[in-house]
Amino acid sequence: MICLGKNQQGADLLTGYLAKTLDAARTAELNQHVQECADCRSLIAVWERLDEFAAPEITPGFDARLYARIAADEMRPSWWRRLLWRPVAPLAAAAAVVAVLALFLRVPGTPDASKQASNVEIEQVAQAVDDLDLLIPIGSDR
Amino acid sequence: MEAVVALERDAQLMLRVREGDDTSFALLLERHRGPVVHFLYRMVQNQAVSEELAQEVFLRVYRSRKTYEPTAKFTTWLFRIATHVALNSIRDRKKEKGHESLDEETLDGMERQVAERQQTVEQEMVHEVKVREVRQAIEALPAKQRAAVLMHKYEGLDYGQIAAVLNCSESAIKSLLFRAYESLRGQLAHMA
Repeated sequence: MICLGKNQQGADLLTGYLAKTLDAARTAELNQHVQECADCRSLIAVWERLDEFAAPEITPGFDARLYARIAADEMRPSWWRRLLWRPVAPLAAAAAVVAVLALFLRVPGTPDASKQASNVEIEQVAQAVDDLDLLIPIGSDR
Repeated sequence: MEAVVALERDAQLMLRVREGDDTSFALLLERHRGPVVHFLYRMVQNQAVSEELAQEVFLRVYRSRKTYEPTAKFTTWLFRIATHVALNSIRDRKKEKGHESLDEETLDGMERQVAERQQTVEQEMVHEVKVREVRQAIEALPAKQRAAVLMHKYEGLDYGQIAAVLNCSESAIKSLLFRAYESLRGQLAHMA
């Protein structure tokens, strides 16, 4: 079947026909068919009509804009570096806060926590001994 | 087969770009700027947007230079990027479509008024209306069919290349193009 509208190779035949790249026998066959087939004539006409959809001239400065964009892009860190930095930044900030706090806790003059704990223990023991003394009847012999 | 073709001039230029030769990039830009911008213009039908997208395409080409391997024809790779960028843009701009249609209706009305006054202007307007009908018919195609028709009709890519760009088989592309041209014929037959 040569009919462009009823052939799966229609687009192939159409472009070949219009570009005059089909062999002589195929071209003659199609010429004959197009005379008789309104669908094929309209398909060819539509194909030719598509030529009217012209694209405008490219605006001046296209290349300059592109090179400026490339230069700006080259200045940016690569995506993996940005990705790497994204979680690191808050972590670094948190680490800095912890470091400052640790430093503050170790400022000279500030009682050390372990020292404070041992002082409390001594006081508690002394208090307990005093309390025990109270339990001993006054005047009794130790 | 594609790998053999890839040793063409474009692929050689791109390999030089990979080695740091920016002059070769300028040559590639010179050779392909027009086809890429025109393809994108017919895809999105807006000059400013098409140039913006074309810049994105060439920027991606430049960015990919260090990892470039000539496994396919350069134009196939280039149009694959261009099609990807265009389809994304079409998807993103769908919401704005309503506003554009309203603008066009207003313009149509103005054109009709002017055409009634001046004969020569009328002829120009008739031409403009025909061009607009072609544009609208192309725009009405599903995005993938549109891309295939534009690459086939205007950019001269063969079936193998279009198939590689759209990631499907050659027979699927032939079928896709057939449906697209039939659809265009249905919409534009009255102009024939």
